[in-house]
Amino acid sequence: MAVRTKFYLDKEDAKWKGVCAGIADFTGVETLWVRLGVAGLTVIAQQWWIIVAYLVIAWVAETKPTGLYQDREEAKFWQGVRSNPKRSTGEVRSKFRELDRRLADIELHYTSRNQRLADEIDSLR
Amino acid sequence: MPFMAGVVAIAIVIGLPWLILHYMTKWKQAPKMTDEDERLLDDMHSLARRLEDRVATVERIIAADNPDLGRLSGSQDYRPSLDKGRDTYRLEERN
Repeated sequence: MAVRTKFYLDKEDAKWKGVCAGIADFTGVETLWVRLGVAGLTVIAQQWWIIVAYLVIAWVAETKPTGLYQDREEAKFWQGVRSNPKRSTGEVRSKFRELDRRLADIELHYTSRNQRLADEIDSLR
Repeated sequence: MPFMAGVVAIAIVIGLPWLILHYMTKWKQAPKMTDEDERLLDDMHSLARRLEDRVATVERIIAADNPDLGRLSGSQDYRPSLDKGRDTYRLEERN
């Protein structure tokens, strides 16, 4: 099962059952705005079925396992993957390109320095 | 107004499920990530991070060894000369 692109209940950040925190964690939107949006839709827009939907989600979805991500950067990356996989893959690719460029710089640095060293040895002859 | 009530009832009974089903089929048709894709991307991402750490370490070591050359990446003092050298080398090779 896809571990990282699945919807989870976020019990660590939960107010009641963790559905809003789970939505926030899934999409990368602030938890506060998700909660306010849900509350506003329920009370102001009179969409009472949202409470039923909340309970159904809380019943169906799994709890987020602890230690799913090593750090915040990884969590952020997977949030990006869930919202736009194409862009995240492009980011990884551009990171590899950048690494290639930096390695090429290092290689160039050493080859050019050897060239200079060879020139100095030639001048000493 | 029984007519308005009828319109609203029809809109709710037919329109709402239609809307939901429409977006569900759209969502199903959208390209989805398989488990294999996810594992691959996970590997690639962690690999890129580790490689970046390593390259940063190497860059630091080189910068410490050659303080006169300044920062390695982005410095332009050696690259044009080397490119020029490469061009002349190619010309010689051709002759």
